[in-house]
Order: sequence, then structure tokens, then C-alpha cells
Amino acid sequence: MNAPVTDILRIQGISKTFPGEIHAVKEFSAGIQKGQVVVIMGPSGSGKSTVLRCLNGLETPDTGTIVVDGVPLDGQKKNRLWIRTEVGMVFQSFNLFPHLSVLDNLNLAQRRVRHASLSRATDNSLKLLAQVGIQEKAPFFPAQLSGGQQQRVAIARALALNPKVLLFDEPTSALDPEMIGEVLDVMKDLARSGMTMVVVTHEMGFAREVADWVVFMDQGRVIESGTPDEIFDRPQEERTQRFLSQIIWKNPRSST
Amino acid sequence: MPRSVASIPWKELLFFIAVLVTLGWVVALASGSLGYNWQWYRVPSFLFTVDDGRILPGPLVDGLIFTLQISTVSFVAAFVLGALTTAVTMSDSFVGRILSRGYLEAIRNTPLLVQIYLIYFVIGPFIGLGRFESAVLSLALFEGAYLSEIFRAGLLSIHRGQREAAHSLGLSRFDTYRFVLVPQAVRRILPPLTGETISLIKNSSLVSLVSLADLSMNARILASDTFLTFEVWFTTAGLYLLMTVPLSLAVYTLEKRFKVLS
Repeated sequence: MNAPVTDILRIQGISKTFPGEIHAVKEFSAGIQKGQVVVIMGPSGSGKSTVLRCLNGLETPDTGTIVVDGVPLDGQKKNRLWIRTEVGMVFQSFNLFPHLSVLDNLNLAQRRVRHASLSRATDNSLKLLAQVGIQEKAPFFPAQLSGGQQQRVAIARALALNPKVLLFDEPTSALDPEMIGEVLDVMKDLARSGMTMVVVTHEMGFAREVADWVVFMDQGRVIESGTPDEIFDRPQEERTQRFLSQIIWKNPRSST
Repeated sequence: MPRSVASIPWKELLFFIAVLVTLGWVVALASGSLGYNWQWYRVPSFLFTVDDGRILPGPLVDGLIFTLQISTVSFVAAFVLGALTTAVTMSDSFVGRILSRGYLEAIRNTPLLVQIYLIYFVIGPFIGLGRFESAVLSLALFEGAYLSEIFRAGLLSIHRGQREAAHSLGLSRFDTYRFVLVPQAVRRILPPLTGETISLIKNSSLVSLVSLADLSMNARILASDTFLTFEVWFTTAGLYLLMTVPLSLAVYTLEKRFKVLS
């Protein structure tokens, strides 16, 4: 080992509570290296989405530190802005801009944040749309697309700023079953191309195939974490075993 | 879109005509029992007079023009004031929020009539405002408060996910409003905005209280001079409709243009 391995995402002891609500996070820590894919699983209310939302500044943790590629997510406006452009996010409900065409959804941030020219932004956008397999939908509006297509546009939009890390917050939970595959395929391609990803999902098939590390959370705490094989085949904690048997029972497809 | 004869809603049309006939009958009956002597032939001269081959506006058209003027100026001022108030209300500034809240509550909880008198008699002379400027200030402050609440409601009605998506794309706060939130809010605020604009035109009749010769002021003078109460006020109501109905229609067209698929 000559070159020191540095984490692109370093999370140290972040905690976050919401008055009168679940979704709290207690003392979450993780170090994620460039190109790694981390999957966070857990029952609803376990705080997994909150962890994700802290990573790009949508929520501010009560305590703990987050460092992205050496830049701390602190009170400094410059750092916060840098982190939210370098850490992209894909949402459960897509959150595409309904009044803009697919192309303009992708162009907007490139034009306003990266100050790209219209032609350069458009070239890049069309390339990304081709990458997610829907270049022909560029002039359409989000409402004219299927759920799976919308989520693929959302992934392309998050990629448009060429971020260092991509966060996925239950990206397939709002999709009809027959559309989940097309979105997972795009995500697998991304993972294999070396994108650093943190994915909150219950798709065990996806986790087995591309995750380097799986974290299981419950009630705001990490119950256990390990490689997909360790977590899925030899879970140590009773809580993990119970959860996994539940999602396999409910959704047999995800166990394959 | 061309309409075939079959698509004309005959039932609705008949119903509409029946309502008009009934209303006319009631008015005729009422004026008949009063022994009212209709003199509609005198009304055109209230609108226009011909003098030496030139057409001059009569008192009602004069008033109409003034009402349009003061409404337009007041609307522009109210729009700017409302937008600023919304921006301050939704900002992070604590003092700003308290100030805008205080302004909203003060305006919405006192009658416009009292505000017009206060500004004309107390604040106007103090800061050197004339009659017209005082009236514009009153209307702008009053409508600005309502407009700002409409703007705020429109922005708040946009799903939280839109703001979060803009955030995670690194868009600045200003760009988030300019490119993401406001364009979507425009469509939603158009109907209440139209309502407020029509209110403004109607409320402008209150400026006659500080002796500004608007449409309702001129109508009142005319009615007491000529004793043609019915003719003058029916005509006046018609003139107000002439201003407000085209506005509603124009906004209806706009609404279709700004339609967002969802």
C-alpha cells in the first residue's frame, strides 16, 4: 500500500433528532472511498433517509461532521454550495421540474451553476440522456413520461453537474414493479462505471450485485454492516435477520 | 376551436335568457310601482357629447378614464409592494418577518375607508403627498397586503421536492425562485390574482371620498343633478363590468398559456 487511501465521503458521529418525530439518527459514522457503492437498508423510520439528506445539506445534523473530498460541510456558505453541487441526489418521487422539458431539466443547473453555454450544456445533456436510454424524450415534458423514464431523467439530471458522489433515496419505491428493472439497470451501469454511490433501497438483488458495503439501520442506529454476502447470507443480529426475512417474504423477486 | 351547432348548450342559453327576462320583469315591476319615468334617451350625453363636430367625453366616461388610471397605477405599485413583502416574509430575517407580518395584520384588520382617510388627512400632508398620490398609496398598501398573501400561498403550494431538487443541483436561492418556484406558482396564483385586481378596480370607488372624480363620484353627482337615479347607476354598473369582464377573459387566456402538465 503506497498511496494512502482517502475517503471521498467521511461521516463522523452524526446525530439528528426531530422534535416529536421518528426518522432520528444516532451517532452514524462511515467512510466511503471513491467508486464505492454503499447500500443503506432498514425499516421505515430507521433514519436511513435522514442520513442521506444530511450528506448534501438538505438537513443539518445536530452533532457530528461530514467531509466531502476534504471539504467540511460546515457553516461556511462557500463549502455548503460546493458540496451541494458535488453531491447529487435522486429522489423517491423524482422531483423533476414539471414546467420544463426533459432537456431543460438537465440544462438548468449546467447553465446556472456551471455557467455552461447553451450548446455545450445541450450536448452534455443529450449524451447523458443517451446513457440512460431515453435521448428521444429530450423535448418532452416530465408528465408525458412513464415513472421509470422520469426516474431515469432524474438520474441523468443529477449526473449533469458531474458530481463526485450520487445519493439515491429509495429511487424505485414509487415505481410500478415493471419499471423498477430499467431504473436499477441504469444504476448498476453507473456503479460499474466507477461512480461513488450511497443508495437507500430495499432492492436486495441490486445490493448483492453492485454494493461494496451494506449498512443495516434501525431506530436511528447502525445495527450491523458488512459486505452483501455477510449481511444477506450470515446476518449476525436478530433484528437484521427478522427484517431480511420480512422483505424476502413480501417481495420474493428482490432475493434473487 | 370551431363549434358545431349541436355543441351549443341550448338548455343553458334558454336558462340564461329566462333569468335575464325575469330580472328585467322585476325591475320593470318595481319602477312601475314607483311610477318611475324612464329617460334612457338622456344617457348618451352622459357618456359623450358632440360639440362643434368634436366628440367630448361626458362625465361618466371621464370618470371611467380616471378609474382606469388610478387602478392601473395602484395595481403596479401594489404588485411591487406585494412581491417585496412576500420576499421579506419568506426570508431568514427575523426583523423583516415581524415588520411584514405587522404590515399585513394592520392592513387586513382595518377598513380601507379608514386607511384612505388616515393617509389623506394625516400621513399625506406630513410627507407632502397630493390627493392623487395619497389615494394611490392607500390602494397600493391595501391591495399589496392581499397580493403578498396570494404570492406567498402560491409559492408555498409548490411541492417541497421541487425546492429540494433545486437545492441538490446547487441552484442559488434566487435561481430556485426564478427558474423553479415562481414559474410554477404563476399558474396557480392567476385566478386569485384576477379576483384581487377586480377588487382593486371596485375598491377604487372609495377614493371619491377624498373628492377624486372617479367613475362612482361622477355618477353620484350626475344622479343627484338629474334625478335619473336608475339610468345613471345601471349605466355605471355596466361601465364597471366593461372594465372587469375583459380582464377576466384575458386572464382566462393567460391561464391556458401557463398551464403546467402534472
